[in-house]
Amino acid sequence: MEKRKELENKGMSRRRFLSVMAGAGVVGAAATMTGCSPVSDPSGTGWLPNQYRNASAIPSQVKGRVPLDPDNVSLVRNDEKCILCGQCIEACEKVQSVFGYYELPVHDDFICVHCGQCSLWCPTGAIKERSVVEEVWNAIQDPETKVIVQTSPATRVGIGEEFDMGAGAWAEGQMVTALRKLGFDVVVDTNFSADLTIMEEGSELVERVTKGGVLPQMTSCCPGWVKFVEYYYPELIPNLSSARSPMMMHGSTLKTYNADKLGIPYKKIVNVAIMPCLAKKFEISRHQFHGLEGGAGQYHEDPDVKDMDYVLSVRELADMIRKYLPGEDFANFEEGQYDQIGSTAGLIFGNSGGVMEAAVRSAYYLITGSNPPELLYNLEPVRGLEGIKRASVNIPGVGDVKVVVASGLANARQMCEEIKSGKADFHFLEVMACPGGCIAGGGQPRTAVPPQDWVRQARTDTMYNHDKIGNVNGTSVGGGNAGQNAVKTGNLRLSHANPQITDIYDNFLEKPLSHLAHELCHTTYEDRSGSLTRKEV
Amino acid sequence: MANKVTDQKSVLVDLTKCVGCGSCTVACKLWNNQSFQNPQSEEFENAHGEDVKLDSNTWTTVQHMRVQKDGQEVWRFVKRQCMHCLEPACSSVCFAHAFHQTEQGAVQYDPELCVGCRYCMIACPFDIPKYEWEKVMPSVMKCQFCSSKLADGEAPACASVCPTNALMFGNRDEMLAKAHEIIDNDSRYLNHVYGEKEVGGTSWLYISDVDFGELGFPTDLPEKSIPKNIHGFTRFTLPIFAVGALTWTGVSLYAKRRHAVAHEGHAAEHKSEE
Repeated sequence: MEKRKELENKGMSRRRFLSVMAGAGVVGAAATMTGCSPVSDPSGTGWLPNQYRNASAIPSQVKGRVPLDPDNVSLVRNDEKCILCGQCIEACEKVQSVFGYYELPVHDDFICVHCGQCSLWCPTGAIKERSVVEEVWNAIQDPETKVIVQTSPATRVGIGEEFDMGAGAWAEGQMVTALRKLGFDVVVDTNFSADLTIMEEGSELVERVTKGGVLPQMTSCCPGWVKFVEYYYPELIPNLSSARSPMMMHGSTLKTYNADKLGIPYKKIVNVAIMPCLAKKFEISRHQFHGLEGGAGQYHEDPDVKDMDYVLSVRELADMIRKYLPGEDFANFEEGQYDQIGSTAGLIFGNSGGVMEAAVRSAYYLITGSNPPELLYNLEPVRGLEGIKRASVNIPGVGDVKVVVASGLANARQMCEEIKSGKADFHFLEVMACPGGCIAGGGQPRTAVPPQDWVRQARTDTMYNHDKIGNVNGTSVGGGNAGQNAVKTGNLRLSHANPQITDIYDNFLEKPLSHLAHELCHTTYEDRSGSLTRKEV
Repeated sequence: MANKVTDQKSVLVDLTKCVGCGSCTVACKLWNNQSFQNPQSEEFENAHGEDVKLDSNTWTTVQHMRVQKDGQEVWRFVKRQCMHCLEPACSSVCFAHAFHQTEQGAVQYDPELCVGCRYCMIACPFDIPKYEWEKVMPSVMKCQFCSSKLADGEAPACASVCPTNALMFGNRDEMLAKAHEIIDNDSRYLNHVYGEKEVGGTSWLYISDVDFGELGFPTDLPEKSIPKNIHGFTRFTLPIFAVGALTWTGVSLYAKRRHAVAHEGHAAEHKSEE
């Protein structure tokens, strides 16, 4: 009996199985086509990060994301990649004290200082830089234009990470070679314009200290910090140095002095900057740098000229190299030379405390007429990743000059409050919006999330190690090689000792703070406090 | 299928607190597994911005509005989604019973029961249900108030992620009390809780410092719910049918009888002729 049943089962099963499956297939197909198939649970079948999956009575600590203008010049966000992890808001509020520091309702602005820290904290790459790779590539391809590229100090310790050279790897020469391979016509160094900034900003400081101007003087190289002051502390705008950032000084002088030296009509120059920064994309869009308000536009009386045309972040340059130099081995590129030189005082601008150290070295010279003592070549108290660093430097003739260095805007806010309350007893405040300075800027290669201190430290160390050597790498843009050879062999750790700085003052700008220097190397700021209602802190 | 609403939940939207980050729109897409493609154009679209519209893939939007306030242009961000009426019109017109209210007051739509007539789309005073025009066999789609999350005691996805607490979640009576408390303590707010009385009350409540009409809310809605409002004439449906049926039955019986009588008379005549 059992055996028969078994046989029957066996005999029937294959046939029946196939016909049942075929029948089910037909029915299923018909059901799907007519829309009768089961529909997924309408009350949600997806996913949310765990922090949102608790009972509503327990609010989660980290939630939501930063508001971001769809037209933000620096940043874009892809909602498809956003997982609402809350990291961007953590960076914006806790590290930068931007989000959450204004009263609601909003006025008519998405409050953003464009520092780009949110893009470094974003684990999925939903927030990233607004890329201008295409635009720059088109400019390079255009036979009518000459594309001049400048590279910010901190780029050379960042770009190598994109090509597996390790955290903080020195890749200056490789980067220059890559830029030439990409077809940039002239490759200059923002270290040079950092030197120029020191001359202007340092002279301004000396004037304020010796002649009784508004103190403390605050640095103005960081466009994120500048916009932060304009939003939250407009009463401190008089404290900001009127000096432009190095990039913007470079933009205006390239389209005036250097254009003439190179024999290129200024209209044909396209100025590109490689920056570790996304706020630089905002900075070049400021009306103060366009047309008749701008340096080069004012100089040439041409309303169509912009001092700077494009800013590429380090990440975009890496994208560009991968896209347009496919298969090439960046790490083993021959080490190229810049068409310009900048001192290593300019180089350390990329570290928090670096502007201060470079300024102190040259301020000493500007006040006393002689070069600073050995101690000032290694101003330890202002070095490192600490958020707020204080130091005092004795300069013969003026006595103790007290300086403060802050990085990360929440730390900067503390200093602003100190100044506002009248308790500040220092003369000079350096602020970089990004914690650790430009080496950890919003346009640098991503590290693990959140951005890692060991990577910041590695980049910082590389910068100081190269300052210790003081070696510079470059020739001179469009001739004018005063003292060129001496520089190549010796060391150049002082901005004022850069022979090309001497050259531009001797042959063009006359002296720091001259009328022409004001036109090309200084700027004005605007009160943005009407865009928000400040929260009292 | 039909539950009694025993635990009416509510989201109170404070329009003055919204910064337009769009977190809620992303949470909705994540939780409901929806793509960012516009179902018609198939192009990628954010669910927040200036020209956003609800569609079958997008159950909530945050619209960036520029409005005049005290002679100045100001920005406000308006979240839109199903209001989850206490007495939903969509549900009352649906003869397939594809809509039902959960215990927490979520007006849930069940695509398996839907026949696709789109009466609900015409009935909705807030123009919420959207049709899947792109599909061969379309359903109607709308916000489900994350009904399963609500049943588990969680806030809906959108409200749980709001970084500024512009979206507050709780029992409806508590949220109403909160709304009035906020309005009473801050003269900037309009003395109007949108959704408290509109069409008989809604689960979603809004407070604002800018006129609701300017922010795109329908402001001419009756306080009576739509099902109650139309009950004035729909309640005659049964009597009219009953009277009609009786009348026609009577007519039919009368006609039959007349026919029979006529036939009988005819037959008698025939017989006498013989």
